[in-house]
Amino acid sequence: MSILINQNTRILVQGITGKEGSFWTQHMMDLGTRVVAGSTPGKEGQVCCGAPVYHSVRRALQEHPADASMVFVPPRFVMDAVMESLENGIKLIVTLADGIPLHDQARIRSAALANQATVIGGNTSGIISPGQAMMGSLPYWIERVYKPGRVGIMTRSGSLTNEVTSMVVSAGFGVSSLIGVGGDPVPGTRFAELLPLFEQDAQTDAVVIIGELGGTMEEEVAEALNAKRFTKPLVAFLSGRTAPAGTRMGHAGAIISGNKGTVDYKTKALEEAGALVARRPRETGTLLKEALSGGNLRG
Amino acid sequence: MKLFEYQAKELFKEAGIPIPRSALVKNKQEMAAALDTIGTPCMVKCQVLSGGRGKAGLVKKAASRQEAEALIQGYFDALPMLHAVLVEELVSFSQEVYLSLGMDPVSGKAMLMGSAQGGMDIETLAMEAPEKIIKMQINLDKGLQPFQLSDFAFTLGLTGEAAKSVSAVCRNLYKVFCQRDAELAEINPLFVTDAGTAVAGDGKLNIDDNAMFRQQAYEKDRSYYASDMEYEAAREGIPYIEFGGDISLMCAGAGLANTVYDLVNFEGGSVANYLEFGGPNYMKAGTAMRLCLANHPKVVLIVTFGTIARADVMAQGIVQAIQDLKPTCPIVACLRGTGEEKVDEIFREVGLVRYTDTEEAVRTAVSVAKGGTLA
Repeated sequence: MSILINQNTRILVQGITGKEGSFWTQHMMDLGTRVVAGSTPGKEGQVCCGAPVYHSVRRALQEHPADASMVFVPPRFVMDAVMESLENGIKLIVTLADGIPLHDQARIRSAALANQATVIGGNTSGIISPGQAMMGSLPYWIERVYKPGRVGIMTRSGSLTNEVTSMVVSAGFGVSSLIGVGGDPVPGTRFAELLPLFEQDAQTDAVVIIGELGGTMEEEVAEALNAKRFTKPLVAFLSGRTAPAGTRMGHAGAIISGNKGTVDYKTKALEEAGALVARRPRETGTLLKEALSGGNLRG
Repeated sequence: MKLFEYQAKELFKEAGIPIPRSALVKNKQEMAAALDTIGTPCMVKCQVLSGGRGKAGLVKKAASRQEAEALIQGYFDALPMLHAVLVEELVSFSQEVYLSLGMDPVSGKAMLMGSAQGGMDIETLAMEAPEKIIKMQINLDKGLQPFQLSDFAFTLGLTGEAAKSVSAVCRNLYKVFCQRDAELAEINPLFVTDAGTAVAGDGKLNIDDNAMFRQQAYEKDRSYYASDMEYEAAREGIPYIEFGGDISLMCAGAGLANTVYDLVNFEGGSVANYLEFGGPNYMKAGTAMRLCLANHPKVVLIVTFGTIARADVMAQGIVQAIQDLKPTCPIVACLRGTGEEKVDEIFREVGLVRYTDTEEAVRTAVSVAKGGTLA
């Protein structure tokens, strides 16, 4: 099994006819993802990657019911595309674009909450349930990273995901679902909100979070562990442990202000809540082995 | 992008927020006219983007014209890249208030924060007396509503005219925050006079770079950056930070770059610069390497594990850069991801060996920086 998507999830692709949209839609389908239709204003009647294209989400859904929407539009148009899917009742939306204006990010987040929908992204490579389905631009063909298995992964980064997940796989594990929540300051979905899904998924034995300095998402995971909203083993790798305060380290969300947001602070919160925290990518695999062989470490 | 104080205050003034009378001095020649206009005593404030200007001695009160002239000339002499000096009238006040607007990532709402104990560093206040900071969430669709304004001002402990004038500033600051796509709009201190009027003593406005397509453009010249190289990197759109050590990092992906930065420090090495050439920049290996070599590092450490940022394309760029720039320091390259199977052959042309393990590459780079040789 998996969370959020599997081989039965019916997916609509917004911006399917674009260069990036068509390229990755083809990859999604090659993996087995069920893409039922696409939308691009002005392109109705075309067929892209074998999927029929409509002018709008509403017009596409009239012919092809869908469970989720994959958004491939440039950053400045993302908010409108997400609102279009929300207005049409779609409850799972994945948006990849890097560069969504902050005020748009906030409006997307509050609209998702108001509609009780899950918006993943932006500034992410998307989500994948290896061997089943993908919404995004993940290199699923790299076998030493995207191997099916029983570890759930949540991440704020793209390249680091490949690095850390390859360590999870080389330690002998595979991935149930990998969710890239993205590196923006206001992501559509936060780590802690995904934990109940992994908790309920019978095919997920443990979760790895790949976090970084800045924000409070890792602290919220610690709170969820303390509140027993997640009871399976949890291993974290956090980057930016030695980053100086006040410097924005790459991602817009990766900045320490005051004493909050430091990796040491996050590590303390997670460890006190019973999680294992890796200092180096390779340790993620060894800690996972420890966690899964030693029974319930959190007593 | 961060605006200078005078730029922020211009936008505050347009939105109806009272600011002190002021004149901008861009060079020594403009000094006399500015001091004629404002008179003395006055405040003399360096326009720099770094925080803690007061502590650094970059904001001072001048009692006489002579003192003001000496200060201004001294600043321009000491700081060759100084953008400008702002000369402002003195404002007498009975209270200093802190006001800021930012975005709350959990709710997706704007967050208005205030304290009746303005003037001091808000992060210090947050640590020492968090209960003195009043917070209010604002739904972006509904905007800042009148009942919220009075609730906020009275909760701050203000009364009468002061409550009214600070409320008006909050309303107008929210207008600036939304209209300008701000990440942060802050006034600290906001002076409240004996008569209860409010005047912005300082101004911070950080405009979201992602929203520049719908915002007023500011020509960002060299004075916005800490060094020539940071200025050049910014013009190329390449994230780049200098740290002063001897290992130049050239990584693709922010998270991986941060991890490599950590690993270098764990191994006892020191980072010369952080440079991220992933995403849209993966074809800019030449520029990236030139920026790295300008720091005269003892070694350049390249680490990538990309998808769209193809390993083979980056490898070709690296080989080309080595042929063009002829670096005298060793290069340690760890390239993985899409197209990785072609990298070995591409590297052979310049005798470069591909590392496949990040930690091994980092250990090698640190050992080379300390005088060791490549294995």
